[in-house]
Amino acid sequence: MNRRKRQTKPALTLLILSLTTSLMAACGNNSDNSNTRVGMEVALSAPKNATDIHTLTADQKNDEEGTLVVYLNDFDDIIADMFKEATGYDVELVTGNGAEIMSRIEAERGNPHWDVVWADMMPSIHGLSLDGQLLEGWQPNNLSQIAEDFKKYIPSNYSYYPTGAHASGVIVYNKNEYTEETAPKTWAEFAQNQYQDKIATADPAIAAPAFPFVAALFQREGGIDQGKEFFDAWFNNGLRVYPKNPQVVQALSSGEISIAALQESNAYGMINKGEPIGIIWPEEGAPASVRVAAIQKNSKHMNAAKAFVEFLLDPKTQQDLIDNGDEAYFDPAAIGVSARPDRQSNAKLIVADAEWAAKHEAEIKQWFADKAVQ
Amino acid sequence: MIMKLKNNKLGWLVSLVLFILVLFPLLAVIIQVVLPGVFFGQLKFGNIGLLLEIFKRPLWQKSLENSIVLACGATLLATFIGGVLAIFRSSWQFPTARLLDAAVWLLFIIPSFILAQGWIMFSASKGIAVHLLGWKWVPNAVFQPIGLIVIMSLSKFPLAYLSVRSAMEWKVEQLSHAARLCGATSFRVWRTINAPLILPAFLAGAALVFMDTIGDFGLPSSIAAIYRYPTLPYSIFSALYTSPIRFDMAGVLSFYLVILIGIAMTLQFIAMRRSRFDFLSGNAIPAVPRPAGKLGWLLATVNLFFLAIVIGIPIGSSVLMSFMQTQGGGLNADNFTFANYIALLNEGSELLIGLGRSLAIAATAAIFGLIIGLLTAFLLMYSQFKFKRAIEALSIITLAVPGVVLGIGYIFVWNQRWLEPIGLLLYGKPIILILAAIAGVIPVVTRLMTGAMAKVPQSLLYAAQLQGDSMQRRLRVVLFPLIRGALIAAGLAAFGASVFDLAVNSVLFPPNYMTFPVIVNKTFEDMQFGYASAATIIGGGIVVLIILLLELLLRRKEQL
Repeated sequence: MNRRKRQTKPALTLLILSLTTSLMAACGNNSDNSNTRVGMEVALSAPKNATDIHTLTADQKNDEEGTLVVYLNDFDDIIADMFKEATGYDVELVTGNGAEIMSRIEAERGNPHWDVVWADMMPSIHGLSLDGQLLEGWQPNNLSQIAEDFKKYIPSNYSYYPTGAHASGVIVYNKNEYTEETAPKTWAEFAQNQYQDKIATADPAIAAPAFPFVAALFQREGGIDQGKEFFDAWFNNGLRVYPKNPQVVQALSSGEISIAALQESNAYGMINKGEPIGIIWPEEGAPASVRVAAIQKNSKHMNAAKAFVEFLLDPKTQQDLIDNGDEAYFDPAAIGVSARPDRQSNAKLIVADAEWAAKHEAEIKQWFADKAVQ
Repeated sequence: MIMKLKNNKLGWLVSLVLFILVLFPLLAVIIQVVLPGVFFGQLKFGNIGLLLEIFKRPLWQKSLENSIVLACGATLLATFIGGVLAIFRSSWQFPTARLLDAAVWLLFIIPSFILAQGWIMFSASKGIAVHLLGWKWVPNAVFQPIGLIVIMSLSKFPLAYLSVRSAMEWKVEQLSHAARLCGATSFRVWRTINAPLILPAFLAGAALVFMDTIGDFGLPSSIAAIYRYPTLPYSIFSALYTSPIRFDMAGVLSFYLVILIGIAMTLQFIAMRRSRFDFLSGNAIPAVPRPAGKLGWLLATVNLFFLAIVIGIPIGSSVLMSFMQTQGGGLNADNFTFANYIALLNEGSELLIGLGRSLAIAATAAIFGLIIGLLTAFLLMYSQFKFKRAIEALSIITLAVPGVVLGIGYIFVWNQRWLEPIGLLLYGKPIILILAAIAGVIPVVTRLMTGAMAKVPQSLLYAAQLQGDSMQRRLRVVLFPLIRGALIAAGLAAFGASVFDLAVNSVLFPPNYMTFPVIVNKTFEDMQFGYASAATIIGGGIVVLIILLLELLLRRKEQL
C-alpha cells in the first residue's frame, strides 16, 4: 500500500505541474497583452513618422487610453504594420468573416469593443448607420482624394467612407469544358439549357460578398418581384448554392460544376494557382461589393480611429494594399491609384443602392435561402 | 436511511457553476425571442409567432427534418459500430488492437470540418476515388442522406466506443459462472447478463453521439460544397448573418435543439428507469482480453480494413492535400510539393503562437472541466439532490448547442457595463475562452465519468463512510482507483477536443489573440487548402503526441 502511495506521487506532481504551467502560460499571455498595452500607450503619445495627411494637433494626440481596435475581414496580415509605420499608432485587430464580424458588433451593442469596422459589406454597415451606431458628420481631410465615381457611395450623414470596390461576381468557366465563345457572356445566359446543372453561386445568407451580388441584380431587374423571377430561372436551371466563395472554388476545382458567379479575388486566385479556369467580365457589368470604413459613435480612441480612416483613404495606402494585399483585386477608391495589371482594365461594376439593399436584405436572403432547399 | 449521503451543498455548488457556464449564456440567446433588446437596455417585445415559423419556412422545416434524420441515423449506426468494436476490443487480444485505440483518439479530437474535407477530397466526382481508383459509384453513394449518415457515424463512433470500452474495464465473473453452472448457454449468458450490464454504457454513448451529431456544424457546412443538406446549426448560422442580425431566429432554432436534447434524454431515462447496474463488488477483477487464437488474424484484418476507411480516407486525404500544389492538379509528380510545410516553418510563427495559446487554454479547461465533470457525475450517481435531472440536462447541453450560439450568449453575459468596475468584464480577455472551453468539455467529462461510476455501487462508499472516512478520503481511496482509467480518458479527451474547438473561439477571441483553430479556419477560407492541411497535420500531430505522452506517464503506474 505504502509503495503504491509513494509511486502515485510523481503522477500527482505531474498533474499539479501541468496545471500550474498551463495557468502560467495563460496568465503569461495575459500579461503579454498588458505589456503591449503599456507599450502602445507610450507609442500613442508619440507618433513617429506621421505624414502630412495624418496631421493631428498636439491636443488631438491626447492621452487616449488603450489601443485602437479594428474589426475587419481582409488585409489583416499587413494593415497593422502599415498603419503603425505611417502614423505610429498601434492597432489591435479582430479578423473574421462577415457573419462573425457583424454578430460580434450586434452582440456587443450594449458595450462596444470596436472603434473602426472596415469590411466589404456596405449594406450591413449602412444598417449600422441607420441604427445610429456610427459616428456621423465627420469629414476626413482625405475626402478630396476619393474619386468622383466613389463619392456617390458616401451617405448624406457622412457615417462611412468607401476604400474600394470589387466584383462580388464575375463569370468563371472551366476551360476544359467551355471556351471563351461557348461560356455565358451575360448573367441572363445562366438560365440557358446548355448550362443546366453546371452553374453555381455563393449563398447570400452566409458569404459576405454574395448578398451585394444578388442585390445588385435584383435592383437592376427592377425590384423584388422581377429579381425573384430572374433568379427563379437560374434555380430552374439547376443552380447550386454553396455556403461561401472558397467552396465554389472547390466545386470548380473538383469538377462538380463548371460555371460560376465568383468573387473576383477568388477567381484571379484560381488562375494564379494554375487552375484551368477563364474569367469573363460581362459587358452589362459585374455586381460589386464596396468596402467601406466606419467609426463607432462612442469610440474611446477617436483620434486614432480618425487617423485610421484617413490612412485607408490615402492613395499610397490603397496602392500598397493592391501591391501586397491578399484581396488585391479591386477598384481603388482613391485618385491616382492603379489596379493590378492582370485585372481587367475598365471593368464595369454595378452596385446596389445601399439604402435599398439594406431595406430588402432580410427579405432577399430569406427568399434565396428557402428557394435553395427546394 | 441514516447513511444518506448528504450532498446538498455540493448540489448547489455544481448547479451554480453550470448555471454560470452553460444555462445563463444559453438563456441569454433564447430570451432574444421574447425580449430582443434586453441586453442593450431596451424593453421591447419580440414576436412569439417566430416559434411556429419552423413549420412554415421551407429552409427551417428542411433543416429540422435533416437534423433529425442525420442525428437518429448516425446515433443508431455509430453506437452499433462503436459498441461492437469496444466489445471485441475488450474481449479478445488480437494484433493491431492498440491501433484501434489510437485511431479512436485521433478521430475524437480532430474537428469534424477537417474530417469532412478529407471525405470530400476522396469522394468528389473528380476526387481520389474516381480519379485514382476508378470507383465511379462513390460520389453518388456518399452524397445522399444515407451516405452522410455513414460518414457522420464513422466520425462519431469514438464517443460510443469510449463509453462502452470504459464500462468493460472491470468484470464480475461470478454472475456468469453461476449462470453457466445452472446450464445456461454462453449466448444466453451474454444476452441475459453481460449485455444488460453494459446497456447503460451503450445508452450513454448513444446519447453522446446524438447530441454531438445534432449540434455539428462542420460536417454539413463542408459537405455543402458538393451536396446541399442544411441542418439546424447551418440555419442558425445563416440567421446570424441576416442583417439586421436575427438573434431571435438563432434563439428559436436553439430552442428546438434544446427540445430535441430533452426528448433524447427522456428516452434514455425511461430506458434505464427500472434497472440497477452497479455490479462491482469485492469479486470484480480487471477485465483482461482473452487470446483470440486463430481468430486473431481475422480480427486484425477486419480491424486494419476498418481503420483504412475511418482514418485512411479522411486523414490520408488531408496528408495528400498538404503535399499538393493545387487541388485540381491531382496526384501527379508535378503537383507534389513541400512548399506548404516550408511555408509553415518560415512564416508560421503566428500559427505556432496560436497553437501555444490553444494548448494552454485546453490544458486549463481540461483540468477545471475534469473537476466540475467529476463532481457533477458524483452528484448524479450517488446523491439524492432534488434537481439531479436538471443538472444532468445542463451538463450535456453544450454538446448539442452550436458553439457560435454559446459564444454569442457569452458576449451578452460577460460584456455588460456594470461588470467593469468589479473587474468581471471578461469579454475581450483570454479568460473568456477558458470559461467557454470548460463549458464545452463538461458534457464529455460528465458522460465518461457517469458511465464509469454506474458500475461502482453506493454500498462501497457507504461502507467507507461507516468507518468514518471523510468525503475526500472516500473519493480518493474508494472511487478514484475504480474509475482511474475513465478519469484519465476524460481528461485527455477534454484536452484534445478543446484545442480544436473553432466555433466558440471564432466569436470570442480577444483582439490580437487568435487561437489555433481560428487561424487554421482562416487559411481554409482564404483557400490555402494545402497550407491549412499542413497546419492541421502539424497541430494535430503535436496534440496527439502530448496525449500519448500523458497517457503513457499516467497509465504506467496502474501496472505497478
